[in-house]
Amino acid sequence: MSEESTGEDDGNVAVSVRATGDRSLPRKILEFDHVYEALAHRRRRYVCYSLLEDAQQSLTELATDVAAWENDVPEGAVTHRQHERAYVSLYHTHIPKLVALGVVSFDAASETVMPAANAEQVTAALIGAGAALDSQQNANGETNAEN
Amino acid sequence: MPKTNNGGAGSGTDSGDDVTPDRDTRWQQVAKRLYDPDQDDALTSVIVFAIADAEGVAPTEVDAPTLYNVVDVAAIEGALFGARPDGTARETTGSVEFRYAEYLVEVNSGGWVRVCEPTDPEPR
Repeated sequence: MSEESTGEDDGNVAVSVRATGDRSLPRKILEFDHVYEALAHRRRRYVCYSLLEDAQQSLTELATDVAAWENDVPEGAVTHRQHERAYVSLYHTHIPKLVALGVVSFDAASETVMPAANAEQVTAALIGAGAALDSQQNANGETNAEN
Repeated sequence: MPKTNNGGAGSGTDSGDDVTPDRDTRWQQVAKRLYDPDQDDALTSVIVFAIADAEGVAPTEVDAPTLYNVVDVAAIEGALFGARPDGTARETTGSVEFRYAEYLVEVNSGGWVRVCEPTDPEPR
């Protein structure tokens, strides 16, 4: 792995799509709309990501985790208002959307989020994206991570 | 009092033909909040916080129906505040209104979210 640091040509994001002549990906993955929709918003990505660790979570815990992550603070330092905002957007938008996409199920009485039928495809896509980025970073020698 | 159809009214369009079922209803603003697209506060949260103000409860107690069941907030966000693909702001002027429970909620391109409730019709 050559790790030579090229000069800073910032702004020029070095994403190269290499044609390898080996199209081993099944075309079916182009049709997984529910996967792409589930992952289209950062808060939904976080919820899907959290499914990798905990199969079952309370909405209020999830809101704390999301707020801690977004505000870059430890969970104990999340303010009431940050928690409220995260909770409300999960409850009113993102969890219902993930339920509609078959990725999670939500028990309203206990306010618990659990994986549903499509959860595995979505987490597999996240894992795949992570692996692909890792190998690209290694190939490029530097990271272009922004946002 | 007008009948509310349980949040199923969807969004109104400001065409000549009024799609809201109760044209004669008088609405009175009971809460408003400002949404700033540049802040990290989602439009969903601002709308729910404004409804909570109107109801006089904590935002986490606004629980039924979910906004998701009533309107596509992401679509409103994109329609009124969405930037061009190059990131520059559009010069959008307009508003969207929808029913939530007994309330009429209006979001305008200036970022104001207004929550109105019906007032009793005046005697004629």
